[in-house]
Amino acid sequence: MNQLIPIEYFLTFGAILFVIGAYGVMAKPNTLIVLMCTELMLNAANINFIAFSAFMGDAYGQVMVIMTISVAAAEVAVGIAILLNAYKVRKSTNADDLTSMRW
Amino acid sequence: MDATIFTDIFGYYTAILPMLLILVGALVMPAVYMFTRKKMAVTIASLAFLIASAVVNIIMLHYIDSLGDYIYFGSEDAPYCGIFMYTSFAGLLILLFQVVAFFAILVSGVSSEVTKLHFGAYGALMLIATAGMMFVVSSTDLIGIFVGVEAVSISSYALVTLKRRDPRAAEAGVKYVIIGGLSTALTIYGISMIYGALGTIDLAVIGAKTHDPDFTYSWAFIIGIVTMMAGYGFKIAAAPFHMWAPDVYEGAATPVSLFLATGSKKMGLAVFFKIFLFMFVGVTAVKVEPVQYLFAIVAAVSMTVGNVVAIAQNNIKRMLAYSSIAQAGYILIAMAVMTPYALTGGLFHMFTHVFMKGGAFLIVGALICAGVGEKISDYNGLAKRNPLLAFAMMIFLFSLAGVPPLAGFTSKFVLFSGAIYNDGVMSQWIWLAFIAILNSAISLYYYVRVIKAMYIERPAKGADQKLAIGKVFGFAIAVCAIAVVVLGVYPDIILDPCATAANDLLHWWM
Repeated sequence: MNQLIPIEYFLTFGAILFVIGAYGVMAKPNTLIVLMCTELMLNAANINFIAFSAFMGDAYGQVMVIMTISVAAAEVAVGIAILLNAYKVRKSTNADDLTSMRW
Repeated sequence: MDATIFTDIFGYYTAILPMLLILVGALVMPAVYMFTRKKMAVTIASLAFLIASAVVNIIMLHYIDSLGDYIYFGSEDAPYCGIFMYTSFAGLLILLFQVVAFFAILVSGVSSEVTKLHFGAYGALMLIATAGMMFVVSSTDLIGIFVGVEAVSISSYALVTLKRRDPRAAEAGVKYVIIGGLSTALTIYGISMIYGALGTIDLAVIGAKTHDPDFTYSWAFIIGIVTMMAGYGFKIAAAPFHMWAPDVYEGAATPVSLFLATGSKKMGLAVFFKIFLFMFVGVTAVKVEPVQYLFAIVAAVSMTVGNVVAIAQNNIKRMLAYSSIAQAGYILIAMAVMTPYALTGGLFHMFTHVFMKGGAFLIVGALICAGVGEKISDYNGLAKRNPLLAFAMMIFLFSLAGVPPLAGFTSKFVLFSGAIYNDGVMSQWIWLAFIAILNSAISLYYYVRVIKAMYIERPAKGADQKLAIGKVFGFAIAVCAIAVVVLGVYPDIILDPCATAANDLLHWWM
């Protein structure tokens, strides 16, 4: 067993992806990039699931990954349609321009 | 009539029968619209499916309450396959979501805010979101809960944005989809950590593992709990995860705001009840106390932020949104106290909140259709223009503030007394009840501001003629007003089922 890559490596990789995604969501002004960053965060969770599933020999983690991928696909489809609509109506998808409602 | 006729016909699918009926409705709704091209036809067809599902649900709920048993979803080989289980907790909340969807779909059919274009899709999305909520409460597994919550979220992104030409709706949609995506990512990361820490995603097995005396919190478990709490915190719009809620409720069409504020928020709270009460009720005090304090702080911050910021609002939909944030804080008291009595209060407050907040949103929607604006100053002199409507609004607002003898008072009484008094001794959560009561007093200020505008201020020039609202709106508002009064003076009709459901959810570990 000890020639395998230890699970900490996978989890650290997942955590780094998650943090990069969270940084992008909070700091990027372009909403399209923000949407892509949330995908990055979802994939971080997928890596965790795969790693745990492989190391525990349990198939549920892989089922969960398939569910997550399909949910992410549906969310991006709806999300990009909403961004396109916002661009049509307001001529911008920049987060700094979408501020007509505050507080 | 008992549910054996369903179990004879549908076998192991009986547990998800109410959802299946609604999903069939969602599938045929675009076709109904295509062949008739009428909003009314789609509305009536959706309501027919919804009422059929509600009747089935009530029969099943009565059946399992009299039997004290559950209905499992499974197959011949594995009668309990561990995804869906119809319990009395699930049945009660399914009934709540059906009531919410009934009001939302009923008024969508006549509201001028919901366009005729794409109304088939609108009805279908509304029904899919309802079915998603129902799957969430009957699921016994983190997969089922996650996918159900996503079904609700993704259809509500589309519902918010369906008012397409309105720049505010477009902006609200973008904000909602981004915050929703963030909350999904946090949730699934938390679930992955819990899967790693405990090796399972079945709630019953998770509960058995956390109740093991040798169980200690690993770092993965702590990260999982915290991120999952944040992810579902966005769904219930508890402070500090609340920033999207006022924008979305203001930008969306009012029937959709009603659906989100009363339905989708209750689903998030039901998720909290299911996951966290399953994990932590009955665990030794040393281990459970940090979690309880975490929830107590979120509850206290949420009600304070909601009530204080609501004072400064001029738009009535934003004011009601902030008041919903505060109400979520009140219901989270049940999560901090973690006793069956407090959970009963939480469930009961969820029910009364549907009628009082739903009624207030119905009146706002009816007035927008009648040409009155959304600002509180537009409500000046409403008591002279339509006395009955102003009186109904006053009932709903007083009930939200907790004035006896209305429903809001009774449910807050049960909820707060659960925090004050526990098994004959003073509880340690008395400070939380103190903050909640103080907040109720603050909330009276901004509710009374609307009542003052309606009853004391003079109407603006040129807007003092009589005002009529649609019959359908009138019917829905009357039902809500009667429910608010009846539940206030005779709470037992809902309180007893709530107590059954709470004991049913918690008896495993008590």
